[in-house]
Amino acid sequence: MTRWRTLLLVARRDFVERVKSRAFQISTALTVVLVLAAIIVPQFFSGTTTEWRVAVVDADASQVALTIELLQSSDDVIRTRARSAPDRASAIEMLASGDVDVVAIGGEGVVTSDGTSRTLATLASAALTAIDLTDRAERLGLSPAQVAELLAIDQAPITSIDGSEEDDDSGGMESLALFTTILLFVSIVTYGQWILVGVIEEKSNRVVEVVVGTVPPRLLLTGKVLGIGLLGLIQLIVIGIVAFVALRATGVADLPETTGPAVIATAFWFLLGFAFYATAYAAAGSLVSRQEEAQNAAFPLTMIMMSAYFIATFSISGDNPIIKIASLLPPFAPMTMPLRIALGRAEAWEVAVSSTLMILGVWLLIRVAARIYRGGILRAGGKIRLNEAWRSSEG
Amino acid sequence: MLEVLELSKTYGHIAALRGVSLRVERGQLLGFLGPNGAGKTTTMRSVFGLVAPDSGQVRWGGNEITEEARLRFGYMPEERGLYPRMRNLDQVAYFGMLHGMSRHNAESEAARWLSEFGLADRAKDRLEELSHGNQQRLQLAAALVHSPDLLVLDEPFAGLDPLGVAAMGEILATQANAGTAVIFSSHQLDLVEDLCDDVVIINEGSVALAGAVRQLRAAAPHRHLQLEVRDAPTDWIDTLRGAAVIARDGDRVRLDVSEGVELSTLLEAAQEAGDVVEFSYEPPSLNEVFLAAVGQ
Repeated sequence: MTRWRTLLLVARRDFVERVKSRAFQISTALTVVLVLAAIIVPQFFSGTTTEWRVAVVDADASQVALTIELLQSSDDVIRTRARSAPDRASAIEMLASGDVDVVAIGGEGVVTSDGTSRTLATLASAALTAIDLTDRAERLGLSPAQVAELLAIDQAPITSIDGSEEDDDSGGMESLALFTTILLFVSIVTYGQWILVGVIEEKSNRVVEVVVGTVPPRLLLTGKVLGIGLLGLIQLIVIGIVAFVALRATGVADLPETTGPAVIATAFWFLLGFAFYATAYAAAGSLVSRQEEAQNAAFPLTMIMMSAYFIATFSISGDNPIIKIASLLPPFAPMTMPLRIALGRAEAWEVAVSSTLMILGVWLLIRVAARIYRGGILRAGGKIRLNEAWRSSEG
Repeated sequence: MLEVLELSKTYGHIAALRGVSLRVERGQLLGFLGPNGAGKTTTMRSVFGLVAPDSGQVRWGGNEITEEARLRFGYMPEERGLYPRMRNLDQVAYFGMLHGMSRHNAESEAARWLSEFGLADRAKDRLEELSHGNQQRLQLAAALVHSPDLLVLDEPFAGLDPLGVAAMGEILATQANAGTAVIFSSHQLDLVEDLCDDVVIINEGSVALAGAVRQLRAAAPHRHLQLEVRDAPTDWIDTLRGAAVIARDGDRVRLDVSEGVELSTLLEAAQEAGDVVEFSYEPPSLNEVFLAAVGQ
């Protein structure tokens, strides 16, 4: 019980002291602002939001508008507004004066002007055809359910030359996957650095001597990882919620189907990845005595993370053998596997193998790192070699 | 009772400790002396498990020291260290809680120690905003907040001004009187002599002398004679036998006198040489005992 209490006290201190620090508050606020900006600002500049205005004669205006929206598959945000015109002549007049972009006349066809986009004309025509088809089906005596089934044909898929199917959703999925990977990379590096700096701080100002006189080094290490990890997770969740709300509110992009699993996968892989790298960072930090040496100590870890990140980002367009292998192996999995999951490319068995290896990896690394940490943390002066720290601590 | 038994530790080729033994009873204030590099810090760190000895044992109350037992210890290491950005009250209370106190208890005790040290109005400041002397006080508060049974202080007087030294001495004496076992290292031997009944002197990793200060001084084979003789010929002192000059300043002279030399002979010789203004005969000071013990 005492150990649990001690563990929680250490975790709590690291958590609370960081929350209270101005650096943390500013960086959190800044990140939220940046995420919001990244979502909202492009809308002002790209001008992708288009409005199509349609005058409808002899047909249901709202049905025409709805059908056009269903048929259009552009990534751009397009709103279709249709209104009924009393007769053909007044509709043409509206088109001529520029009040609408196109005129759709039931039983006749589509009338365009010079300014009408080809896409809109095609879509309006297709919408009329679809409505006509529905009417005919009903006249032939098909029940509404049968009509629905008749219309529920998928558009024939388009396949590119390299054999991959062009998915309408792929743009959204790729951005989501990339966002996930960047988020994981940045957060694991950031919070890992907090651990690194925290460990070196305790060592360089010698407070560790007082603390370790009471708290066993392994508890100090675990508490620190726990406290900072929890804080990191909360910060991530806050940023995630802000991003989600902003995406919903602006309607910038429909979230792809894989969003739900991707969010859960991200949280899961963050925890595993953080636990893995945080303990490694702590061990690295215990080997040096001054903040100036922090980046040297962490260099090998940063290299591994960077390579995992690059493997991930270079594999967005398609799976390759490198990412398939990397996503199974502990140091690389936290950044490569979530990408494959978000892109819907990971097989269930791969996820299972990868997470099992990762959990084993974390378990093993905590033992190794704790021993190095214990050996390193109390040795003052200069850089300590890994094997020295290992040998001076009896596990 | 703290017992250090036959402790040995080697770093590479350097033997830091060669069978060091000492004991501190509850209520005892033990001065731990020795030149730099003698092994004082290594011995003290081993009490907290910060050094794994090659052989020997550290015991508390007759048992090997456990994590639980350490919760009742207080430690002030040679190189002071606390969290620079933590608020002072929070910091002291944190160490109280690490030693098993409840939050409420730790906070009220921390507040009590802060006001004891005149830092009540700095409770919400950060450690880094305090002066060096006040940081030292906070360090001591962090070691005392849980009312430890054993207090280990490595060079507690280093870097303190005379007022701080006096206050620190008083706190150590109070702690010992309240039943705490207190051991501290120091180079300020006059201070140790005033403060402690008992000392342990170590040199090159082993105990050179240990015992009550008075007995150590009394047991020294030499006595010191402080003499002031006016209007004496400059070389009168050289005619004395069995006495060697330690220091000389004008008419004042300090002599090292071997056992068996009759005082009366010395006094007569001095009176023949001139007017004797001062003639005091005493055992060597702790400082002199120390220097003899460490072979200087």
